[in-house]
Amino acid sequence: MSEVLAVHDVVKSFGDLRAVDGVSFTVRRGTITGLLGRNGAGKTTTIRMITGIFLPDSGSIQWRDGVQNAQDRIGYLPEERGLYRQMKLRELLLFLAEIKGKRGPAVVASIERWLERFELTDKRDAKVEELSKGNQQKIQLIATLLHDPDLIILDEPQSGLDPVNMVIVRNLLQELKAEGRTILLSTHMMGEAERMADDIVLVHRGQVVLSGSLEEVRASAGKNTLHIDYDGDGAFLEQLPQIARARIVNHAAELTLADGADPQDVLRAAVGKLRIRKFEVAAPSLEEIFIEKVGMETLEAAQ
Amino acid sequence: MRKMIAVLRREYLSTVRKKMFIFMTLFFPVLMAALFVLPGLMMSRALGDKHVAVIDATGALRGSFDRSMPPAAIDPKKALTSRESRRELPQTLAVVYVDAHDRDPKAASAPYLTRLGLDRKSAEKLDAVLVIPANAFVSPEASMTFYSRAATDLFTQERLGSVANRAIQRQRLTTNGIAPGAVDALTRQVPVQGVQLSRSGEQKKGGEGNFIVGFIFAALLIIPSFVYGTEIMRGIIQEKTDRIVEILISSMTPRQLLTGKIVGVALVGLTQISVWLLIGVAVASFGAATAMMAGVNVMQFLRPMVFVYFVIFFLLAYMTYVCVYAVAGAVCNTDKEAQQLIAPISMVMMLPWFMMVAIITNPDSSIAVGFSLSPVFGPITMFVRTLVSEPPLIHIVISILVSLVTISVFFWATAKIFRVGILSYGKRPTIPELWRWIKVA
Repeated sequence: MSEVLAVHDVVKSFGDLRAVDGVSFTVRRGTITGLLGRNGAGKTTTIRMITGIFLPDSGSIQWRDGVQNAQDRIGYLPEERGLYRQMKLRELLLFLAEIKGKRGPAVVASIERWLERFELTDKRDAKVEELSKGNQQKIQLIATLLHDPDLIILDEPQSGLDPVNMVIVRNLLQELKAEGRTILLSTHMMGEAERMADDIVLVHRGQVVLSGSLEEVRASAGKNTLHIDYDGDGAFLEQLPQIARARIVNHAAELTLADGADPQDVLRAAVGKLRIRKFEVAAPSLEEIFIEKVGMETLEAAQ
Repeated sequence: MRKMIAVLRREYLSTVRKKMFIFMTLFFPVLMAALFVLPGLMMSRALGDKHVAVIDATGALRGSFDRSMPPAAIDPKKALTSRESRRELPQTLAVVYVDAHDRDPKAASAPYLTRLGLDRKSAEKLDAVLVIPANAFVSPEASMTFYSRAATDLFTQERLGSVANRAIQRQRLTTNGIAPGAVDALTRQVPVQGVQLSRSGEQKKGGEGNFIVGFIFAALLIIPSFVYGTEIMRGIIQEKTDRIVEILISSMTPRQLLTGKIVGVALVGLTQISVWLLIGVAVASFGAATAMMAGVNVMQFLRPMVFVYFVIFFLLAYMTYVCVYAVAGAVCNTDKEAQQLIAPISMVMMLPWFMMVAIITNPDSSIAVGFSLSPVFGPITMFVRTLVSEPPLIHIVISILVSLVTISVFFWATAKIFRVGILSYGKRPTIPELWRWIKVA
């Protein structure tokens, strides 16, 4: 698969803070690339360099296939979302398409199609401020997609959404991917990325700590994680010698095995004290991989 | 270019549709007229329908007061031009003359003083009572007393007082052997007529008219700049609070965005003054006719070039101020914060306005010349100078060039600050930080 975009060793500092410190990755055509990391890891700054809001201090951002007018080829949904509240929907969408270099009857038709897809046709002459919050988010998404961009960049698209809308966005992303569009998805929600992304780029403190396709990343981590669901008091699991790290939440444990430990020993120890409902040896979750990579201490220190 | 025009069009349409614009466009001229015309109108009206009593303890001044007539409209020509008329009894004062030379003035005035308190609708109602003491002709300590319900009815007091003084003077002169017929001729005042001698040797009359026209035009020049500067500032802050700005500058350069905004709002300003000028032309025929009646030729102040200068200096003043306001908008996060930041700055920028009297009365003084050639203050001061005097062409050209350079520098810096500032939601930057923004962006 061909690349759409290659980010090469970009650096951006604000005063003494190196917000982005030598980040490199590529985005493949027709895939969803997850840009992952904690808040403040440098995701948004990286995206702002790709969208041309900031110029990198050094490094380069290259478009493949000789893309011109890069800004017009991007559909960007910023994390901080907003629209002109006083404008009517259709006028606003026409304006937003025009500043992306698209105008004329084709755009008008496209607006109608999108409004129909999001069931907003009857609201097209309403002012933005008259819409519900959910509908405003839909308009924002339409604005991102309206000019038929080569690359769709979504910065935390699910922040502030309720579970129902999260599913809607997740489905929309899958539909867009099925249509062959290329998406760069920035999120701090590892679970979401795990569900949707083909490739991941994990950034921490301005640097890429892990990147590649999701399968590669998980395969390289090996099957060293136990998922146990149980009834009873499982606090002792953490103390077992075979366990390196444990996350126990509400009668479900995600345990990272120590090097060379046998999962069967853990099972034997558990059976005596708990009612086991599920026992699984699996690849670790992205969150586990992330913690493994950057270390629990730095995370705690960061918080 | 297309993107710039898209921003410009959006900016223009959204501003022109605002109630603020419609209000400013239609009511501002009315407001201005009210501001300049009403006080004069009220002063002359203050005399209208006044009923006063004059209690004369000398008993000798009947001739000057006793011609009680019904209130009638005043003659505007006479009111505006003749200073002499101040000393005559205005026709709008209905005077009850009381000869009290054989009585105690206190006792004589008592029934009239109670009539001050009557209801306004009552036919007996008096607005003021003037008591002239018996020793008015001889004692240097003599003073008249003016009673009224409104302590601030200075205008009636002044007019009535000067009529009484005139009568007393006349009486003193006749008792000293001057023939009554000669008194008026001997005490006639000689008026001073202001004449402006232009470079071409042409003569103009009516300095007061000049003064007012200068003020009106300066206000027309300066007020829209501040109003729409504030509009731009609030617009930018609105875009920040609405979080749309990130979409805008991920679609175009900050320079395109800023140009679109400023030019868009400049067109709003031009639309507005065009409407005003149209209203002006309509009103002018009426206004000029009135002024002509008063002996003031308004058109002599309004040479055709004045309109050309007006448009030029309007745009220059406008662009200068708007850039400053745009920066304030870019570095602040809330309207309140921006107002606090801009208040002292706009006070400085308003300096020519505060010095308007000095500039109009002394358009060729070194202060006026210095102001007119300086950045920021230049456009307004220079325009007023071209209005009330005839500055050398070289001054005008230098002033325009200085403003153009100022605007270019402001615009350049604004675009830079814009790029960084518009995305910073944190605390307001300090001056050194601003400087770093300019260097970084």
